[in-house]
Amino acid sequence: MKILRKHFRVWKRLSALAIGSYLSSRVDSASYLLGKLIRFGFFLLLIVSIFRFTKTLAGYSRYEVIFFFLTFNLIDVFSQAFFRGIYQFKNDILRGNFDYVLSKPVNALFYSMSRLTDVLDIVFLVPIVLLIFYTAGKLPAPITAGAVILYVLLLISGVLIVLGIHILSASITIWIIESENVIWLYREAMTLGRFPPEIFPGTVRVVFTFVLPILLAVAFPAKAFLGLLSWRWILFAFGYTVSFFCLSLLLWRASLAKYSSASS
Amino acid sequence: MKKYWTVFRISWQKELEYRFNFLLGRLRNILVLLLLYFVWHTLTSPTGTFAGYDRNELVTFVLGASVLRSIVFGTQARSVAAEINDGTFSAYLVKPVHHLLFVFFRELAQRCLHTLTAVFEVAVFSVLVDARILIQIQWPWLALFFVSTSLALILYFLLSYTVNLIAFWSREAMGPKFLFDWFLEFASGAYFPLDILASGLFAVFASLPFFYLLYFPIQVYLGRMPFLQVAGGIGLQLIWIGLCILGARFVWARGLMRFTGEGI
Repeated sequence: MKILRKHFRVWKRLSALAIGSYLSSRVDSASYLLGKLIRFGFFLLLIVSIFRFTKTLAGYSRYEVIFFFLTFNLIDVFSQAFFRGIYQFKNDILRGNFDYVLSKPVNALFYSMSRLTDVLDIVFLVPIVLLIFYTAGKLPAPITAGAVILYVLLLISGVLIVLGIHILSASITIWIIESENVIWLYREAMTLGRFPPEIFPGTVRVVFTFVLPILLAVAFPAKAFLGLLSWRWILFAFGYTVSFFCLSLLLWRASLAKYSSASS
Repeated sequence: MKKYWTVFRISWQKELEYRFNFLLGRLRNILVLLLLYFVWHTLTSPTGTFAGYDRNELVTFVLGASVLRSIVFGTQARSVAAEINDGTFSAYLVKPVHHLLFVFFRELAQRCLHTLTAVFEVAVFSVLVDARILIQIQWPWLALFFVSTSLALILYFLLSYTVNLIAFWSREAMGPKFLFDWFLEFASGAYFPLDILASGLFAVFASLPFFYLLYFPIQVYLGRMPFLQVAGGIGLQLIWIGLCILGARFVWARGLMRFTGEGI
């Protein structure tokens, strides 16, 4: 408990500094927020426009497709809000600043991941959550308590998978310093979750469920909410999440053992 | 001109400096292609057509947009803002080069390299998914496509360059650029054919210069516009280029008066 409280206090202090940084660059911050809203709005516009010409997409109705899209955004934006620090990790390795992180009395991975809380993405979460509530009310199937609980549990599972991917990215950066595109590769792969997974052929779904579990992270919660996920798949999702996360931590520890400072 | 071709050569070599990172960057494009291709593939599955396009036209639009993005969109102009803010821009003022041409040739190298790889990626992708791309064999449309694409390349560069000169007025230039880039991506038709939007929205986008960056050249390639409309579109591209040249010169002249060379 003491360790958790210590890390929470560190996170609070780092977040306060990050918020201060955003507030000191108001034009930049406002433009970034507007850019995120425009990107979100345009994809929503695309979905709405598609349904001017069709009643279903891969068997899903308009609001079901929108629900998939919003769930993807919820997990994606949440992870960007709280794990943004990983984007600076490469610079820390290059310049040797990671040595100072290692010397601090906090977990180095925690510090690297959470030192840049993106307050703009936290703000952006609000309309996403509101739209999820609105869209859920428009879905054809009735909402049950079980569906909601499963949805929340699988959202947490999805966030853990995304966290695991971030940890893997950091591990790879220690091994291959010029690997800036690894994290951006993940970001592009995540966009596959914008639409229901049934639009993809079997091979693509297998790769992005079992190898790089993007669909598991973002599509499974939505499918569970819609009552389309069997108990076998739900249990598989939880089991896979735990294994994947543990594997990412093991790889991180192995990478740390191999770390050699550039200079500091 | 010889010095600018030297810039081109150096920029080409710099792009290939970190090859693993470069390859990962190209892999990102394939992931974007996956989503877009299968969305439109699924939509055209029931009837073979969607929103007035047949499947081959939509596939050609998606894959063509991917290649055209590499030709038209670049990232070197973005470094102008960073150079202005950190003072390294001062070096260009004492060199016997025209800054706009310097940046253009720096960007041209990147675009040539990315175009070559994009054509290869699209070819491999097409073979893997058995995509049928329409090959335009009528030389008048091919010639018009080449003209409109060349003009789109120049237009995008001028737009991006001018927006980056905002850095003369504000250190907070990254946020507005992010906003501009995302709006441009959607308004140019990079993600979907703009004519699937409601007519009012389509008219709004058609009045913007971004319309002529990707959507217009692809429509010319597909032969979906009558000749007079194409001629009118190319005329509008030239008008927008003229306006952007005037804008860039005005912003450059005003910006130089404010430039203080901070960070030298």
